[in-house]
Amino acid sequence: MGLRIIIAYLIMSAAILFAVITAVGLIRFPDVYTRIHASAVVLTMSAVMLSIGVAIYVWEFYLSIKILLVGLIFLITNPLATHAIARASYRRKIAIPQVKSIDEYSGYLSRDQE
Amino acid sequence: MSRIKHISIVIILAFLGLIMLLDLNKIPNQFEYANSIYHHITNNAVGETGSLNFVTAILYDYRAYDSMGESTIIFGAVSGIVLLLSRKTLPVSSHGLSFIVKRTYGMLTPFIFLFSVYIIAHGHLSPGGGFQGGVILGAISIIFSIVYGSEFDYKRYTPTTKTLLETSGALLFIGIGLIGIIYSGSFLSNLNILNSEPGSLLSAGSIPFINLGIGFKIGAGLAIIFYSMIQKTFKEEASL
Repeated sequence: MGLRIIIAYLIMSAAILFAVITAVGLIRFPDVYTRIHASAVVLTMSAVMLSIGVAIYVWEFYLSIKILLVGLIFLITNPLATHAIARASYRRKIAIPQVKSIDEYSGYLSRDQE
Repeated sequence: MSRIKHISIVIILAFLGLIMLLDLNKIPNQFEYANSIYHHITNNAVGETGSLNFVTAILYDYRAYDSMGESTIIFGAVSGIVLLLSRKTLPVSSHGLSFIVKRTYGMLTPFIFLFSVYIIAHGHLSPGGGFQGGVILGAISIIFSIVYGSEFDYKRYTPTTKTLLETSGALLFIGIGLIGIIYSGSFLSNLNILNSEPGSLLSAGSIPFINLGIGFKIGAGLAIIFYSMIQKTFKEEASL
């Protein structure tokens, strides 16, 4: 087992750690927005690190490029999906917390209407 | 009442399980398949069809007539859904999602199209094929409808275009079958035109062309199904 395989396994186990953090956050956080914040970790960190680890593990040029492209797609699309879900649930007033100290997003929304 | 219900459910499930357990004995041993069709396909499929993907070789060569029946079922489903759900009024526009989503999907959509064409064109070499790539092709129209609003989708990619694409896909499939009659005497026989060695892009005779036809047919058909379903809901949620 060479050094490359060990590095690949290290990156993959870090990805698993982030996935566990996501699972804990989904259970522990109180409402929609904080849970979205937790679930963004699993695709932006976990899936990307997993694809990097697998690309190091297989270590063939075209195969690794394809796997890294999959990771790149995850990196682009997941913040997008998180943004769309959060924005739609805010505009539909789903589970807006009663007690809040700051609400910066309402100003952006009114600017967006024009 | 609920107790009787639970007990009767348990009795029925136990009865069904007993029947299935008795039927397990009737499954033949795997060694009896030594001279069967599975053995023939795993040994001779590359030589006979030129396709490295055996599933595609079975779907579009050994039982291509059956695949044509399956695509006819999808054609019937599309026709029925459009008949039941279509309206005379034009679809109502929606504002679509926010600027970030629109701009990012504007950059991503060409790559999604490229990926679907890759899956369709490499159907005889790697996992995938006409059905799978066609579903991704239909997803592009769904992305247009959700992200940019259905009016955008209506203008860029009209229902007439979708119907044309679906019909031409089906006609390509049937046309290849009819050419097979002229070429070697049987319907949907594998044409040996454009046949290089197995593993290259233009191998496997008529399988890539059938993949292409199926892909466009499935993609346009799913887009039509989605399109005829959303018209009502988008009117109610005009700005989300």
